[in-house]
Amino acid sequence: MTWLVWRQHRIQFYVGAALLAAFAIIIATTGVQVAHQYRSAQLACALHEGCRHLGGLFMGSHVVGFMVIATLGAPVLVGLFWGAPLVAAEAEAGTTQFAWMQSVTRKHWLVVKMGWMLVAAAIWGGVISVLVTWWSSPNNAEQLNQFNPGRFDIMDLVPVAYSLFAMALGIAAGALLRRVLPAMAVTLAGFIGVRVLVTLWLRPHYLSAVTVFYKVTSGFTPPGAFWQIAQGVIGPNGQALAQPNGTPYVDGVPITALPGSCAAVANGPSNPSGSCLQALSHYRAYLTYQPADRFWTFQGIETGIFLALAFALIAVTAVVLLGRDA
Amino acid sequence: MTPMEKVLGPLGPGPGGHWGTPEPIAVQTGGLTKHYGKVTALNDCTITVPEGRISALIGPNGAGKTTLLRLLAGLARPTSGQVIVNGVTPHQAPAFLADIGYLAQEIPLYRRLTAEDHIRAGAHLNPRWDGESVRERLTGLKIPLNRPVGKLSGGQRAQVALALILAKRPRLLLLDEPVAALDPLARKNFLGLLADGVEAGGLTVILSSHLVADLERVSDHLIMLAASRVQLCGDIDDLLAEHRILVGPSKDTTALERGHRVVQATRTPRQTTLLVRLNGPVVDPAFQASEVSLEELVLAYMGEDSPPTLTHLTSVGEEQ
Repeated sequence: MTWLVWRQHRIQFYVGAALLAAFAIIIATTGVQVAHQYRSAQLACALHEGCRHLGGLFMGSHVVGFMVIATLGAPVLVGLFWGAPLVAAEAEAGTTQFAWMQSVTRKHWLVVKMGWMLVAAAIWGGVISVLVTWWSSPNNAEQLNQFNPGRFDIMDLVPVAYSLFAMALGIAAGALLRRVLPAMAVTLAGFIGVRVLVTLWLRPHYLSAVTVFYKVTSGFTPPGAFWQIAQGVIGPNGQALAQPNGTPYVDGVPITALPGSCAAVANGPSNPSGSCLQALSHYRAYLTYQPADRFWTFQGIETGIFLALAFALIAVTAVVLLGRDA
Repeated sequence: MTPMEKVLGPLGPGPGGHWGTPEPIAVQTGGLTKHYGKVTALNDCTITVPEGRISALIGPNGAGKTTLLRLLAGLARPTSGQVIVNGVTPHQAPAFLADIGYLAQEIPLYRRLTAEDHIRAGAHLNPRWDGESVRERLTGLKIPLNRPVGKLSGGQRAQVALALILAKRPRLLLLDEPVAALDPLARKNFLGLLADGVEAGGLTVILSSHLVADLERVSDHLIMLAASRVQLCGDIDDLLAEHRILVGPSKDTTALERGHRVVQATRTPRQTTLLVRLNGPVVDPAFQASEVSLEELVLAYMGEDSPPTLTHLTSVGEEQ
C-alpha cells in the first residue's frame, strides 16, 4: 500500500520538498545576516550604553520579513493541495474502486494513505516552524511581542498542529464531499474560520488573565513580553472612564475631568503640580494581561486544541469512508 | 434451518441441480434489496449461481445490474436480505477480497500511472498475483506498458483493466459491461479467454452486457433483471426449455393464461402470438408451439415490445 501511495503522490512530495528547500535556503542565508546585524548592533550599543533602543531595530530585509509572516498561511496549503484531493480525487476518478477491489481492506487503505499524509503535514509544519523560529530569534529577543499572532502563530509548536489540522480537515472534506474543488473551498474557509475563532475568542482565555490595579501616577509594567488584554482607568466614583479619544489627557485621565493645573502637563513636558497630583490620586488604573511566562503553556494548549480537532476530523473520515457504500 | 435456508428453502441442489450431487454455489442471495434514499435500486432479489458458470446479467438500463454486482463485491451493503459469495457474506477482509475480481463500468485506473505501475501495485496489494500474464497479454495486444493509461484509447484501457483483474486470480469475476469498449474481435478474444479460465476450473463469472449475441456465445447461465426485480435466473438451457412461443388464432386466451404464464402477447385481428412460461404441456391444438431463442426471451422479459405486460409479471421473480 505504501508503494502505491508513494507512486501516486510522489510528484506532490517533490513539489513540497522543493518549496521547503527553497524556503530553507532563503531563510538560512538571510538568517545568518540577521544574526550578524544583531551582534554588531549589540556591540555598538554596548559602547554607547544605548541598548534599550535595540527593540526598534528591524532586522533582515522586508521581503524576507514578509515571507516569514506569510508562513501563517503555510499550514493550509497541505490541507488544500494534499488533503482535499486525497480521497476526493480518487472518488471523482473512480479509482477508489480499483484500490478497494485489491486484496486490501478499506481500513488498511485509509490508515496507510492518511498516515503518510499526516506525517508529511507534520514535517511540513515542523520544518517551516524551526526555520522561522531560528530566523526570528534576534527579533524575538528584542521585540517582546511573543503573543502577537504574527509571532505566536508561526513559531515553536503550533505550526505543526495547524498543519495536521489543515491536512485532516482537507481529507475529511474530500471524503464527505467526494469532489476536489468544493473540498478545497471548505478546507480554506474552515481553516481560516477556526483559526480566527480560536485566536480571537479562545486564546485570551486559556488561563484566566491577571488584573493589576495601580495608581495612575505610579504606572505599572509587568515583566517580560506579557500579553495585554485590557487596560483602563477607574474614576473616583468607581466607574471605568471612557478611553480618552482626541481630548488631551494626563496619565490616561482626560483633562476635562481634572483641575486646570493639569492642562499644562497634558500640553507639554512638565511635572504635574500638587493640585493636579491630588486630583489624579483619586484615579486608579488597571491592566489585564497574560504574563510572559505563560507562553509555553499557551503554545501547549493551542497545540492540544488543534491536535484534538485533527483527531476528530480523522475519526469523521474513518466513519464516513468505512460506514458508507463505496 | 439456518437463516439463509429460511429465506431460500433448503440449501443444496439448486433448481435444475441434481439431488445427490449438490453443486457448489458461488453466489446466492435471498430477498436482497437495496434502496438509495427513496429509490429502490434492487428489490427482493433471490438468485443462485453455481460455481463454474459464466452467468449473463441482462436487463434494461437502470434495472439494478450494477447495484447487484456491487452488493456481491461488498462495495455496497444491502438494505435488507442476504448475500453469500464464496460461502461467506461479503466483508472487508483480505481473504474475501482476494477471491473477488470486480471491474466497474467506468474502468477505474489511475490515469497518470502506466500499465506497468498498475502491475507493480497489484503485486504489492494481492496475495496471488500473476503480473507476468498481464505483461504478456498487453504486449501481445501491442499496448505500451510504459505509457500513462490516461493516454491509451478507451479500448486499450479496458484491455489493461481486464488483464489486471484476471491477474488477481479471483474465484468470482464480476464484470460490469466489460466488453462495451472493445471492438468485435477483441470482444471475441476476451470472451474466449474467460471461457478458457472457467474451463480450467475454479472460476465463476458474472458479466453484464447489452450484447446478447456475445453473451449467448459464452454464457450458460442467465440472470435477467427488469424494474429492479429478478425476472429470470437459471441455466440458459433450462430457461429456454421452459418457454415457448405460441402462435394461434385471435381468440380468447383466458384458459391458456390460466395454465401458463404469458410473458408477452402480440395480438393482431387475425393472429395471437404469445411467449409463455410453460407450466405443463400446451393442450390447445389451435396454438402452434415453437422454441424461443435467448434474444427473444430476453426481449420479452425486458418488455420492449409491450411494456404493460410487465405489470402483471411481478411474481415471476419468486420463481427459483
